[in-house]
Amino acid sequence: MIQLQNITKYYPVGLGRNFILKDIDLTINEGEFVSIMGPSGSGKSTLLHIMGLLEEPSEGQYLFEGERVDKMNEKKRTQLHRGSIGFVFQAYHLIDELTVYENIETPLLYKNVSASERKSRVADVLDRFNIVAKKDLFPNQLSGGQQQLVGIARAIVAEPRVILADEPTGNLHSDQAKSIMELFKELNEKDKITIVQVTHSDVNATYGNRIIQLRDGHIRS
Amino acid sequence: MLISYLKIAWRNLLKQKVFALVNLVGMGAALCAVLLLSLTAYKEWSFDRFHEKRNHIYQIVNEKVQNGNTSTMVTNSVAEPLAAAVKAEIPGVKHTSYITGFNLPVRVGANVYYLHTQFANRDFFNMFSFPLVKGIGDEALRELNQVVITEATAAKLFSKATDAVGKSIEINVRGQWQPYIVGGIAENIPQNSSIRFDLVARVESDPYYNEVKGKWDVSTNPLLVELEPGVSQASFEKQLNALKPRYYAKAIQEGMTDFTFKTISLNDFRLDEHSYFFGGVNKYYPWLMVILSALIISIACINFINLSVARSLGRSAEIGLRKSLGAFNGQVFLQFWMESFLLCVLALVLGSILAVFILPFYNRQFSQHIQWEMLQDVKVIAGIIIIFFLITLLAGGFPAWKISRQHILTMLKGKMNINKGNYVRNSLIVVQFVVAVILFSCTAIIWQQLNYIRNKPLGYEVNTIASIPLDNATPAVLDNMKQRLSQFPDVKSVSAGMNNFGIGSDGNSGNWIIGFSFHGQMLTTKFQRVDYNYAGTMGMQMVEGRDFSKEFGTDSSAILINETMAKQLRVKEPLGTMIDLGPQGNLKVVGVIRDYHFESLRRKIDPLIIGLAKPNDLGYLFVNVRTSNPTATLDKIARLWKEVNPLAENSPTYLNDNMRRMYEDEHRFSNMLLSGAGLAIIITCMGLFAVTVLATAQRKKEISIRKVLGASVSSIVTLLTRDFLVLVLIAIVIAAPLSWYFMQKWLQHFEFHVSVPWWIFIVVGAIAILIAVVTISLQSIKAALSNPVKSLNRE
Repeated sequence: MIQLQNITKYYPVGLGRNFILKDIDLTINEGEFVSIMGPSGSGKSTLLHIMGLLEEPSEGQYLFEGERVDKMNEKKRTQLHRGSIGFVFQAYHLIDELTVYENIETPLLYKNVSASERKSRVADVLDRFNIVAKKDLFPNQLSGGQQQLVGIARAIVAEPRVILADEPTGNLHSDQAKSIMELFKELNEKDKITIVQVTHSDVNATYGNRIIQLRDGHIRS
Repeated sequence: MLISYLKIAWRNLLKQKVFALVNLVGMGAALCAVLLLSLTAYKEWSFDRFHEKRNHIYQIVNEKVQNGNTSTMVTNSVAEPLAAAVKAEIPGVKHTSYITGFNLPVRVGANVYYLHTQFANRDFFNMFSFPLVKGIGDEALRELNQVVITEATAAKLFSKATDAVGKSIEINVRGQWQPYIVGGIAENIPQNSSIRFDLVARVESDPYYNEVKGKWDVSTNPLLVELEPGVSQASFEKQLNALKPRYYAKAIQEGMTDFTFKTISLNDFRLDEHSYFFGGVNKYYPWLMVILSALIISIACINFINLSVARSLGRSAEIGLRKSLGAFNGQVFLQFWMESFLLCVLALVLGSILAVFILPFYNRQFSQHIQWEMLQDVKVIAGIIIIFFLITLLAGGFPAWKISRQHILTMLKGKMNINKGNYVRNSLIVVQFVVAVILFSCTAIIWQQLNYIRNKPLGYEVNTIASIPLDNATPAVLDNMKQRLSQFPDVKSVSAGMNNFGIGSDGNSGNWIIGFSFHGQMLTTKFQRVDYNYAGTMGMQMVEGRDFSKEFGTDSSAILINETMAKQLRVKEPLGTMIDLGPQGNLKVVGVIRDYHFESLRRKIDPLIIGLAKPNDLGYLFVNVRTSNPTATLDKIARLWKEVNPLAENSPTYLNDNMRRMYEDEHRFSNMLLSGAGLAIIITCMGLFAVTVLATAQRKKEISIRKVLGASVSSIVTLLTRDFLVLVLIAIVIAAPLSWYFMQKWLQHFEFHVSVPWWIFIVVGAIAILIAVVTISLQSIKAALSNPVKSLNRE
């Protein structure tokens, strides 16, 4: 599903280069639940951003479902964001001015899904995550765990092939974190969604079926 | 999708009330001003556009060259036989009509009304699109004693307007009651018509017309012609001038000033100052109004842009998120533009409501006649919509474009940097202040010029002389009035003349130009006829010689001249010089008057010859009063005048009021500019305030750290203020030469004007800086006084 070949990312600093990632070779198959770990500054987030097509690698090739995407034009990339890739962020990034319902609905609006189908799909997700009662609340009326729940609901409502999660539990306390991780596991096992998460927590990492250790831009294991 | 955008836009507005308010109020006020100003301009331009044949109708005017090619002078009237000659000899002339307007008393039974009467030819209704509701076109004016009245007039004169046709009325023409019959009723004259009338009568029924009939050497009435489609103005003018040698040679030889025929299109009647129907509005003023509204709206747009950009900094995460969900740049653009659009629509609603409330005041203050019926015009509505759309695109589009092009990741991390070094914002603020300073200093200079005009000695008394328009009082009435006035204790002396000073309550002004040959040179002069004791009553100074006086029985062959005329004569001793004025006779100079401004200060003082009037020539009575209560005295004179002449329509006025009326146009314009400048400055300051709020918010941490390190409040206020003050200074430096240039141009309309004083820019600049400092301080002092721990803890 995700194939990274010799991916290198660097920034020019003065006359030299500051390498964030160096010669990363990584394949993630469909249905995997991968956790990326490593100390601060090891390049975890950059790697995830490259996978999510939010950043372009400086060198190397990236194949998504067998297609070259590292030098893809903006329009095609946007199509992938609409259909295949869902994001979950550490800071949730819910839109403050929209209700829970409207936040979850937003990706479907960009996908041009019809109004009636939008309604039923959002209702399904709300139902599944047990947040029907909260659908008319605004994000600032929710706890952190609930906000992240909405964040995940928004990520899966467009039925992506892969979810990329950047420290999804970083702002949560352990109880909340646990339920979020269990939800990921369920999505991975029941819905067969490929999940890649970046995490600091060893506990969280165990929910996945593979752990990738990064250090100074290299894969260690 | 659009609904979702609107929803989020609305919620955002509610959340950020200060910015929404600044934008809403600023934009609303600006749109209100733009609406009023552009409707005013549009109204001026839309004049006479309802005439179907407007592209084929012209007024014939004479362009006269004065005093050895130094200046030209355009006069409206032409000789009576010209109409017939034009029709007979120039191919392609379809209709012709003379036209002369008066306010005349009209009698129906025992009731007397004053009606605005146009004397015209039978073709008048064939030429102009004034449809008749009763009667058919020229048939209604078939007989010499037939008149056409408007619906409103019919309703005023007769109990049942529809029965008016065939009814008899009497019109007081040149002091005589003449019987007429209503031959037709015309629809009421549209607001935007320069040709206005309550009543149209046949010009041939004016007794004076028969006096000038067939004479090539007197020019009395303006002439209008309609050409066949396909005949060009230029070719008509050429053929018209070809007629001149044949018919005018004799008159020119006998002293008529040589001239060239010109024509003015009906399309230009309103705004061409040489047209008989000139509306008094300088043709550049509509343009200036458009420019003023463009300036005001651009200031409001700049606020909008600066605030939107600054505001969007707080929403970078949302934008990044939307992009990661698969929003195209175009969709993000659309969303942000929609938000601006929503705000602009609200502002438009606010502005329109404001305009509705301000309109009566606006019309009164600036003597305008804007009506909301103008909005029924599809073109106006379309224009407003298109312009509004462009404004939203400008105000909302630029920030939206900037925002939508940001990279996803930088925004998700909240590191959006739209204004590198605030370069765009700062330039826009400079532009705002340039506009504000230009408007401000222009207003100051116009105001100075008007002040100068008001206080300049004109060479005669203005405060103690009342002028009474005689309308068509008979000589007997006039004598009676003079008699009664002489018994008045307040009255010092009384005289009369054919021309008024300034513009009186009748709104008329006019002049008479004649040419004559003197010692072999051709000279042109303004000519007036006056009553005895003229210079004395008016308080004019005699350089030498004497005033007209009854004590000399010979004054009917005497003239007074002004100094400029005396210089033109180039004789050693002007007194006693004989001047042959052709039809006016061979006259002797008995006095030289010190030059006085008998016309407006826009013009230099022309040569002037003053002859003694026959009673019929007099148009205005001048009363020099000695009183401690001028208003009461004027009231007394007015009552007396009404008693002596019950038909009097126009009331006496003091000359200083007449002077004010003459410069009303400039006054109105300076008031408009002043209001515009005020509005511009208020909107600019509102924007500046909001921008400082944002800028200080961004620098909160810096301010706190400085305070912790021991910075004083004043040093922090200085720090925050300095950046913006530099912008204001730059603006002043740019604005000063520009406004100097504009004002230099404007002042050239006046032969007598102030010079642009250099200190005005310093004063205006100082005021601008003061206003800016106050605005910025409102926010920066608050920021400097705030507890540093609070903002540091928040980080």
